[in-house]
Amino acid sequence: MKTSDWIVPGVITVFSCVVIYLSLQLDLSPPMIVGHSMQPRAFPIFLMVINLILIGLLTYQFYKNPPASIPLEPFHTWGTIILLIVFYGLTVAADFFLAIAVVMFLMCILWGEKRIPVALSTALVTPFLIFVLFDQVLMIRFPRGIILDWYYG
Amino acid sequence: MLEALQAMSSVILDPFLLLLIFATTIIGVIIGVLPGIGATTGAALLLPFTLTMTPVHAITVLATIYVSATFAGSITAILINTPGTSAAAATTFDNFPLAQRGEAGRALGVAVVSSTVGGIFSVIVLCIAAPMLARVAYHFRPPEYFALTLFGLSMLASISYGGAIKNLIGGVFGVWVATIGAEPTTGIERFMFGNYDLYEGLSFVPVFIGLFAMSELLVQSKKANQIASAITMKAVKLPTIEDYKKIWKTIVRSCGIGTFIGILPAEGATVASMIGYAEARRWSKNKEEFGKGSIEGIAGAESANNAATGGAMVPTMVLGIPGSGTTAIILVGLMVHGLRPGPYLFTEQVDKVYQIFGAMILANVMFLVMGLYAAKLFARISLVPISILWPIVFAFAVVGSYSLSSALMDVWIVLIFGTIGFFARRHGFAVAPIAVGFILGEMVETNLQNSLKMFEGQWWMILTQPLAALFLVLAVLGLCGPMIFGMLTRRK
Repeated sequence: MKTSDWIVPGVITVFSCVVIYLSLQLDLSPPMIVGHSMQPRAFPIFLMVINLILIGLLTYQFYKNPPASIPLEPFHTWGTIILLIVFYGLTVAADFFLAIAVVMFLMCILWGEKRIPVALSTALVTPFLIFVLFDQVLMIRFPRGIILDWYYG
Repeated sequence: MLEALQAMSSVILDPFLLLLIFATTIIGVIIGVLPGIGATTGAALLLPFTLTMTPVHAITVLATIYVSATFAGSITAILINTPGTSAAAATTFDNFPLAQRGEAGRALGVAVVSSTVGGIFSVIVLCIAAPMLARVAYHFRPPEYFALTLFGLSMLASISYGGAIKNLIGGVFGVWVATIGAEPTTGIERFMFGNYDLYEGLSFVPVFIGLFAMSELLVQSKKANQIASAITMKAVKLPTIEDYKKIWKTIVRSCGIGTFIGILPAEGATVASMIGYAEARRWSKNKEEFGKGSIEGIAGAESANNAATGGAMVPTMVLGIPGSGTTAIILVGLMVHGLRPGPYLFTEQVDKVYQIFGAMILANVMFLVMGLYAAKLFARISLVPISILWPIVFAFAVVGSYSLSSALMDVWIVLIFGTIGFFARRHGFAVAPIAVGFILGEMVETNLQNSLKMFEGQWWMILTQPLAALFLVLAVLGLCGPMIFGMLTRRK
């Protein structure tokens, strides 16, 4: 097995162990409430034990038939993940719809749209139409921010 | 029976519902032809829009999206050799070669007729089988439900994508996700890390939008800059009498296969179309034509994948166990609208159930008309650059998830589960098992707890209940079946 083949079993094993540890920290419920049933911590621990058994089987499978190596994602994919983080930051710091418009514009460009006016109009018109639909038809009130403060007053 | 027919035919008398089915069929076909957006992603994105509708209208929208998008995947499979949905993957084997020979219209004609027959056949089976199964399920108690949900989870092992062990790991992860929040009987907080937005657990819709739509967005980002070229098609032709003579047996066989595969928990249209295609080849007198433009191959795959749609609705509505990724979303739609999936649905809300079935039949007829007269137009939509399409999907995904409970937490859940789904898929894990595990998670735990209470902590008493024991045996077979089958085929 190559070193990279250990990544998936390793990550899931660590995850399962962390969940078991966190489950063991959960409060115990009084026997009067639980009765003959199980403590709230029991079920997640039971699940993670099953997971660890399955990970053992998966590792054995990888040992017998090593999986094909996965090529590294292109720049577009990592860029899109970064844009999701940018979206989070902009929503918290500025405005929900401003964040959508900025991320949409950058995503269009990142994914290969060379016509700037097309990317810009997509990024402006789509959020606007979605806002009108949700605000006027579905009566949804969106979180306040730079733009929506101005709109809601 | 008469009441059922009355309820089904009342759909035709409701002009708003008719208009809704028509509009949703168009949307469903568009969703089906757009690359990467299948029925599941489409239904997840549209779910927030259904919240203001009546339960029947909302479920009709989701069910119509399901049947029309499943069919529409074949339009792009024929014209640009890219299946719009995974269920249409088997269609490309013969459709594209036929299209390259200048017979795209004939290929599409066979596909649309086969899909319609498959879809209507499966809804008829649904109308007959669902109430019968509901009568049996009416007597289920917690041990039977616990065993049944375990059976549903065990079937994840046989989903085609990913492999048995990876699918089961995904299913277990999904069940764990369902434990986040306050434990229902004791109120003890689990994995909330002090965040009280999670007190009632994670909502289904943002998790599903994340797993299906957002992870697909990241997968599609790998295809940025890719340009598809379309095959020109003059007009869609209905199959000739000779064609019908050649394919009718295949259609009948695939209808049965598709419906049966659809009924099995966690199986879906993709598996059905592959098996439908393989069986069409096995029984054909012209095996050599397969892969080179066989209309029997097209009929086998297309009637099976649409027959699976009605089949998958059986366990969803009667038992609350989703038959596929899209029916998992329909199940969430039922719950959001206060229609409790299960046998009681067939006693307490029977008129609504049959209206939904009637709407599904109508949706099948509508996509027949659209497939015949507007396929060329829809095929053009599939050429929309993904650099424009997916940013729009992103906007709908985040706004739609926010709108459910006006909470930004739901948007963050979409981003988190989108990223989890992407990395899972990158390493060969399917996201459908996570979704199915998440839906069944609460059912498994609650029914296990209630069973333990019933038997005063003696868990082995579950095995003494005949139906529960049967489901547990089936669960073991579901887990070991693929392994045994694999060993047997290797030996051959």
